[in-house]
Amino acid sequence: MRRRLGWSFWLALGWITLILAAAATADLLPLPRYDETLVGPPQAGPGPDHPFGTDGLGRDVLSRVVYGARVSLIVGIGAVLLGVLFGAPLGVLAGYRRRATDAVIMGVNDIALAFPALVFALAVVAFAGASLLNVLIVLGVLGVPAWVRLVRGATMVFSEREFVAAARVLGARDRTVLWREVVPNVSLPVLSYAFIGMAVAIVAEGSLAFLGLSVQAPTPTWGGLINEGRPLMEDAPHVVLIPSFVMFLTVLAFNLIGDRLRALTDVRQSNLEPVRRRQADRLPARPHHVEEDVLLQVADLRTHFTTARGAVRAVDGVSFTLQRGRTLAIVGESGSGKSMLIRSVLGLTPEAGTRRGGRVYLDGQDLTELDDEQMRHILGTRMAAVFQDPMTALNPVRTIGTQVMEPLMVHLGMKRKAARARAAELLASVGIPEPARILRRYPHQLSGGMRQRVTIAMALSCGPDILFADEPTTALDVTVQDQVLRLIRRQREERHMAVVLVSHDLSVVAEWSDEVIVMYAGKVVERGPADSLFERTRMPYTEALLRAVPKLTDPAHHPLRLLPGRPPDLAHPPSGCAFHPRCPYARERCSQEEPPLFQAETLDHLYACWYPVGTGAGVVETSPELSGASGTAEALKAAEEAAELEEAAEAAEVVAEAAAELETTDVIEGADSRGR
Amino acid sequence: MIALRLVRLLVVLLVVTFLSFLLLSLLPGDPTTQILGLSASEEAREQLRRELNLDDPLFTRYLSWLGGLATGDLGASYTTSVPVTEALAERLPVTLELLIAAQLVALGLAVPIGVAAARRAGRPLDQALTALSFGLLSTPVFVLGVLLILVFAVKLQVLPATGWTSISVDLGWNLTSVLLPAITLGCAQTAVYARLLRTDLIATLQEDYITLARARGLSPRRILWRHALRPSAISLITAIGLNLGALIGGAVIIETLFGLPGVGRLIVESIFARDYLTVQGGVVLISVGYVLVNFAVDLVYVAVDPRIRRA
Repeated sequence: MRRRLGWSFWLALGWITLILAAAATADLLPLPRYDETLVGPPQAGPGPDHPFGTDGLGRDVLSRVVYGARVSLIVGIGAVLLGVLFGAPLGVLAGYRRRATDAVIMGVNDIALAFPALVFALAVVAFAGASLLNVLIVLGVLGVPAWVRLVRGATMVFSEREFVAAARVLGARDRTVLWREVVPNVSLPVLSYAFIGMAVAIVAEGSLAFLGLSVQAPTPTWGGLINEGRPLMEDAPHVVLIPSFVMFLTVLAFNLIGDRLRALTDVRQSNLEPVRRRQADRLPARPHHVEEDVLLQVADLRTHFTTARGAVRAVDGVSFTLQRGRTLAIVGESGSGKSMLIRSVLGLTPEAGTRRGGRVYLDGQDLTELDDEQMRHILGTRMAAVFQDPMTALNPVRTIGTQVMEPLMVHLGMKRKAARARAAELLASVGIPEPARILRRYPHQLSGGMRQRVTIAMALSCGPDILFADEPTTALDVTVQDQVLRLIRRQREERHMAVVLVSHDLSVVAEWSDEVIVMYAGKVVERGPADSLFERTRMPYTEALLRAVPKLTDPAHHPLRLLPGRPPDLAHPPSGCAFHPRCPYARERCSQEEPPLFQAETLDHLYACWYPVGTGAGVVETSPELSGASGTAEALKAAEEAAELEEAAEAAEVVAEAAAELETTDVIEGADSRGR
Repeated sequence: MIALRLVRLLVVLLVVTFLSFLLLSLLPGDPTTQILGLSASEEAREQLRRELNLDDPLFTRYLSWLGGLATGDLGASYTTSVPVTEALAERLPVTLELLIAAQLVALGLAVPIGVAAARRAGRPLDQALTALSFGLLSTPVFVLGVLLILVFAVKLQVLPATGWTSISVDLGWNLTSVLLPAITLGCAQTAVYARLLRTDLIATLQEDYITLARARGLSPRRILWRHALRPSAISLITAIGLNLGALIGGAVIIETLFGLPGVGRLIVESIFARDYLTVQGGVVLISVGYVLVNFAVDLVYVAVDPRIRRA
């Protein structure tokens, strides 16, 4: 608590305490009386006798400021108390009861807010008499509407929460619910606003006093002191500057305390925001071979975030290549780093607190070496992206036309008219009827499927070589999903582009992709041609993902097979193989050593596992927990098999360990032969 | 939809005018004393009360005053005999110019400040601008005005401390005389606007459509000004309407401080002269203006954010 409030809070609290103490004990302090003239030479600057100097009549400015604080603080605190006293109950009532009660209270409140407060205060104080009590009452009453609104808002938020609903369902009386559940939760926002309200009231009182409409002379007020000092500005500026400064500090202190208290209620802060850093430094890239004749090569790509909880390795050493005309799928659970991988390839990672490493080659050109301007040209013309949610992918306040035409005009230098014609063609090519009409529409006027077609049209507008599609169909209806995927494939064939398709839906991946990358905890754990990877799965994680896909052949009411355990904490990934805490085949070695990528028997099929499935190196061929085997007999049989296999597996482990001592890439033959 | 809003507007206007009328009529103090002086006889007062219809029931007086309002007649000042409508009409252009100039100053400063801070969220420039905004927000307008007069008029002597030149007399001098008051009045708003814009912009810049705009290779400048600014402006526009109350309150002080012949100063002068009808006219003028501007703001939303059109 103490640390979260910050030093400025305690400094501000100290200042207010000082002012309060001085105002309360003013009569006891060794000060000349505020209205005693000629206690020193008139208009004398600050000195040992009069720390704040004297005014035009030779009165002590310090004494006048201290006594002036009384009026300011009494009005500030009093007006807030008055406002809370009337405003808070009305606000709680409106927020808790809702319906008619709310409508009436808020209707009156809105009208009350329509009065310009200060002008009204002026008129009332002027006619009712400028006394401390009148000023206090007027400012207090004028503050009520703001209080009603604030308390109502806070009450509404809390009375919607589960614990309040639960208390109501349990039959607690309204009054009990209010006092026990709502009031304690509303009190922090109220306290926060109380301090801001005091600042507002002090400024308002100062304004009235400045116009001569607050407490009358001889009682000093801060606003009055500033007004009196004005004629002396040229010769004795301290007379006006000192009260101004004291007043500024006091208002600032009240505002600061209110602001810091409000920050306490702000739940948006978690500990995972990037910690602010200077320009991100690069992680070193491991040596690698730059391939020829590939469209895209990603080599040892890494993206780490520095957060309050430590470095998060969102992408950690990913390598792959992609040929023109092919589709590469990236699969994995949420949080496995799929989306961050493509953002990282595109150079779209957030700047603050990010460390990026590795290389991205497009036709052999290293994109990580380009400056921002060159990279923007590449992004505009050669690589394009489509994101998951078409509802958030389009700018809500710009027409479809403006948005589709923009890249054409910026990157291809088209004139407005030509761009409009081209935009209409593009929309037609992605199957949008009446493109000319749609161009004038806003995104909210289109359906989700239509919007995704528009984002695809935008991505294709400048004829990219690679389309990065980040879960392009997840947010869409099943019927529309297929259309969109067909569209992407047709465009790929027509334009001879490559597609990188991110998905967690393995049935989509199996149907639409040529190659697959499986990601876990920011790393590639298996990669290869789609058919080989799905038919001869090696990595237990891939196997678990495949088993989790519901099948049409499943009997009705068959329980959904879920991946056991939770995705890893990327700030503190497990030691060894990151999947080992969830892996049914895991052994001691898995928690100690991280497996490198081994070569499977099929060319280009790689996997990161010490005990791969389907090779006999794993403990069991099918484990009862994972397969969801329906019969106990089957499970028993599996267990027997497992026992038999265990010896063989141990032998295999020795071979594998020996192989691991050779370097990563040389392991391949050894790994292939083990367990056979 | 628009019709419903207009009806609501009319109701609010009636209530606002009635309440101002009621409040100012119920306050202690007798206008006859103002006109005839303390020594006047009871009969003379009685006669005057009858002439001014002061003994009629409150509601009757409100209706006849409202009828006057419809025809542009708010009565004549008890003290100067100048028709209230005329006095207000004469002062209104000054106040309007001050308010518009102050809003221009506030927005002119707040938009670049808010954008610069949002772009570098969390960095030193952002922190400095946030602290500056907080400081400005905590400076009462009369304190700021006095400081600016001290610096620019007294020390540097580059701008006049007080006085007003009408636009019709000389545009250059007019701008010189409005500059310092407008800066003073605009600065506090600058802080409010910049903070709102910064918060909303930071949220907008994390939207998918902004990342996708970057993925399309558009420059940061273009993304910021053409893509992000408008969706982030809703809170700012609301604040422009809601802050008008504070701005008008500030204008009363600014006009007094800088000696500008505006509506605010007229009200203050009339208050000291106990000139009820003029004060009432002024308060109603300001309340109605405030309500109308907020009504207009509702319409501006629609222009800024097409999604609202559906609602």
